[in-house]
Amino acid sequence: MEKDATLDAKGLMCPMPIVQLARKIKEMKSGQILELLADDIGAKEDVPAWCSRTGNQLVGQEEDGKTFSFYIKIK
Amino acid sequence: MTDKFCMVVSEGSFDKAMMPLIMGTTGASMGMEVHVFYTFFGLKLLKKGMKPKLPGMMRFFTGMMEKKMSKFKIPGYQEMMEQAKDLGVHFYACSTSMSLMGMKEADLMEGTKVLGASAFLNLAADSKMTLFIG
Repeated sequence: MEKDATLDAKGLMCPMPIVQLARKIKEMKSGQILELLADDIGAKEDVPAWCSRTGNQLVGQEEDGKTFSFYIKIK
Repeated sequence: MTDKFCMVVSEGSFDKAMMPLIMGTTGASMGMEVHVFYTFFGLKLLKKGMKPKLPGMMRFFTGMMEKKMSKFKIPGYQEMMEQAKDLGVHFYACSTSMSLMGMKEADLMEGTKVLGASAFLNLAADSKMTLFIG
């Protein structure tokens, strides 16, 4: 999937992937796509919840072994 | 309008110290306005340079727990507190507990505000949820 930036949050546990995600999107522009990589099993539910709460759009989600990839379109 | 999220912390052990910070940083990262009110034994968590320990006999294992957490890159108490403040989480000390515990404003971490119950309840009454941690 096309992306403008990647945030690698592998090896981090809740709440750090979400905290870093919130920081990262502040550096990005509206309409850009951020790829977030995480291997905390909670991220699978946490990232979609964060997206629906903050109004950023989750445009894609993949799972490759233990790694989850999320594609988030910035509000 | 921004969602408000309040917490009351009434215990001062390591686990009770970390929980509101984890919830608070997450809430703030989700765009919520977060308010944490420390009362009774929770108050000491707002002391400058505080290093909370696990409760009871488990206190000897606090270092082990911290080590384990740092493996997963969860920061220590002080660093987590700083991150929470950076994210805009509000911290309040209960004024009555301050008198009871003999704590002065000068003993409190920077960025902490002293409130009475009514000022906190005024915030809580307008919030979407309030959690009690104790």
